[in-house]
Amino acid sequence: MSYIPGQPVTAVVQRVEIHKLRQGENLILGFSIGGGIDQDPSQNPFSEDKTDKGIYVTRISEGGPAEIAGLQIGDKIMQVNGWDMTMVTHDQARKRLTKRSEEVVRLLVTRQSLQKAVQQSMLS
Amino acid sequence: MREGACKLLAACSQREQALEATKSLLVCNSRILSYMGELQRRKEAQVLGKTGQRPSESSSPADRSPCRGRVCISDLRIPLMWKDTEYFKNKGDLHRWAVFLLLQLGEDIQDTETILVDRTLTDISFQNSILFTEAGPDFELRLELYGAYMEEEGALAAAPKRLATKLSSSLGRSSGKRVRASLENAGGSGTSPILLPTPTMGGPRYHLLAHTTLTLAAVQDGFRTHDLTLVSHEENPAWLPLYGSVCCRLVAQPLCLTQPTASGSLRVQQARELQDWAQVYGVLKGTNLFCYRHHEDADSGEEPLFTIEINKETRVRAGELDQAAGRPFTLSISNQYGEDKVTHTLQTESRGALQNWMEALWQLFFDMSQWKQCCDEIMRIETPAPRKPPQALAKQGSLYHEMAIEPLDDIAAVTDILAQREGVRLETPPPWLAMFTDQPAALPNPCSPTVAPALARTQPLPWGRPRTFSLDAVPPDHSPGASCLVAPLPPQRSPRSRGFCNKGPPHTWLQSPV
Repeated sequence: MSYIPGQPVTAVVQRVEIHKLRQGENLILGFSIGGGIDQDPSQNPFSEDKTDKGIYVTRISEGGPAEIAGLQIGDKIMQVNGWDMTMVTHDQARKRLTKRSEEVVRLLVTRQSLQKAVQQSMLS
Repeated sequence: MREGACKLLAACSQREQALEATKSLLVCNSRILSYMGELQRRKEAQVLGKTGQRPSESSSPADRSPCRGRVCISDLRIPLMWKDTEYFKNKGDLHRWAVFLLLQLGEDIQDTETILVDRTLTDISFQNSILFTEAGPDFELRLELYGAYMEEEGALAAAPKRLATKLSSSLGRSSGKRVRASLENAGGSGTSPILLPTPTMGGPRYHLLAHTTLTLAAVQDGFRTHDLTLVSHEENPAWLPLYGSVCCRLVAQPLCLTQPTASGSLRVQQARELQDWAQVYGVLKGTNLFCYRHHEDADSGEEPLFTIEINKETRVRAGELDQAAGRPFTLSISNQYGEDKVTHTLQTESRGALQNWMEALWQLFFDMSQWKQCCDEIMRIETPAPRKPPQALAKQGSLYHEMAIEPLDDIAAVTDILAQREGVRLETPPPWLAMFTDQPAALPNPCSPTVAPALARTQPLPWGRPRTFSLDAVPPDHSPGASCLVAPLPPQRSPRSRGFCNKGPPHTWLQSPV
C-alpha cells in the first residue's frame, strides 16, 4: 500500500458502518487509532510500508461498536463519512471520528488480507 | 406563513434573526410557487380526464407505474477554494457569509440549517440529513446554494461608548471612516448612546451561488462527489470561492424493498418429492419470498421456514407444470446458482390468488428494473432527528473577548481563563510555567516557541482557527514587573506552528482512543 505523492491511490476497501455507543456524556466507537502526517511512521507495527503516514487501527475494545461492525486491528482507515484520512494529522483524524453530532460513522478501510484475497482471485 | 415571516423580519433587531427570517421567507416563496404549479398541473389533468382522454383506463402492463421510495441525502459538504494569501496569512478584514442549501424533489422543498462561513473554513459542511418520502425512480433532486454577505457592523455595536470612540479613532483609515460613519448615523456626534444600525429594507439579501440536479444514477451507498454549476460571479457581493463540487451520500429505499407487497397461504412442493407438499404462509417482501409455518409467525418475528430469493435473474412461470397431474393454480420460481438451477413450485388456493401473486411478482420485477442499483441491497437511512430550533448563531469565541484590556499582573489569571475554557485538561500547571516562577524578571527574548520542542503535548485548541497566534499576540513588555502574555499560547499550538519553529522529523507515534 505504498503511494507516490501527487498520484491517485488505488486500494481495495471495505465499508464499515459503526454506530456509536453512548457512555454517559460521550459517544464512543471502541477502538484506538495511531498514525498521522505529524507522527513517526517507522514506529507503526501494522503498516507494510514504513513510510505510510496513514491512520491505522491499533486496538479494538472487546464487544465494542467497532468490533461489532467488523473493524479489525491493523486496518488502515481511508475515509470517514466522506472525509479523507490518508493525509491528516493525528488530531484531525481523532476529531473526524469523534464528532458529537454524528451517531453513525461510515468508514472505508483497507487491510492486507483484502488486497491479497483480491490479487489471488485475479490470478486464479 | 409568508405574512408571518414578513412581520418577523420587520421586527428583527439582531442580525442573526434577520438572516433566519429572510431564509424562511425565501423557502416559503419557493414552496408557494411549487404548490401552485402542482395545483395547476392537477387541474389540467382533471380537465383532460373529463374530456374523454383517459390514458390509464385500460391498465395494460405497459402502463405499470413503479413503486415510490424514500430518498435521503446526508453529509453534504461543499469545498471552498481560498487564495492562499487569504487562508494562511489571514490578511484583511474578515468577510463573513451566511449560506444554506435549498433542496427540491418534485413539489417537496426542504432547506438546511444556516451556516456562517468565513475564510478560516475549508468546506461548508451541513450536519443535517434531508429525507424525501414520495420519490419515484425518475426523481430529480435539485440542489441550490444560497448565500448572503454579512457586513461587519456587529462588532462595535455592543461595545461601550468610550471604547468605541477610542477604537474608531485608532483604526486604519478606510475602516475607521466606515465605523465613524456608522457611529454618526446612529448617534449623532457621539452624544446619544450608540444604537445598532437599522437593518436594510427587507433584511439581508440572499443570492443564488450554485446549483445542481441529482438523479437515480447518483444514488449509492457511499460518498460521492458531484459537480456544481456555479452561478454567481465576483461582482456579486455574496460571491464565495467555491471549488465547484459537492460531496454527499445519496441513498434511496424503494418501498418494494421495505414493505411486504403480497402475502397469502401457499402450498410448496418439497424438494423432488412430487407428492409431498407443505402448507406455508408466504410473504413477498423486497427480493425475498419468506415462507412461514403459520400466518402469525410473519408478524411475530419468527424465522421463516425457508426463503426463496427473487432477484433480476429469477424466472417465474405460471402453472403449466403439473397441469396434467391435475394441480391447477401453480407457479414456479427458478433461480440459477452457479451451475445449478433450483426451482420451487408453489400452489395457490384459487385462480384469483394465483393472479394476485403473479401481479405482485411482475410489479416487483418492474420496480427492480426501474430502481436499478437501489434494489441490490437495502440502503440504510437514519431517521433525521427532529430539527432543533436554530440556536443563537454564536460568534466564534476568542480568548481576547474574555480578557480585559488592562494588562494582567498575574500570569496565573491567564492560565485560569485557559483552564476554564478547556475544562479538566489543565489541572496540573503546565511544565513551562516553571520557567517563569523560577526567574520572573530575567525573562529571555520573547521567542517562547523555542520551548515547544521540549514538549510532546498535542493538546487540542480551545478554538479551531488556523492562525499563528504567536504573530497575533501582544508583544511582551520588558519593563520589570510586567508579565508576559505571549507565553501561554504558542506551546499549545506546537503541532500547528506552520513552519515557524521547525522541530525536525516527528519522534512520536501516538495512539488515541476514540
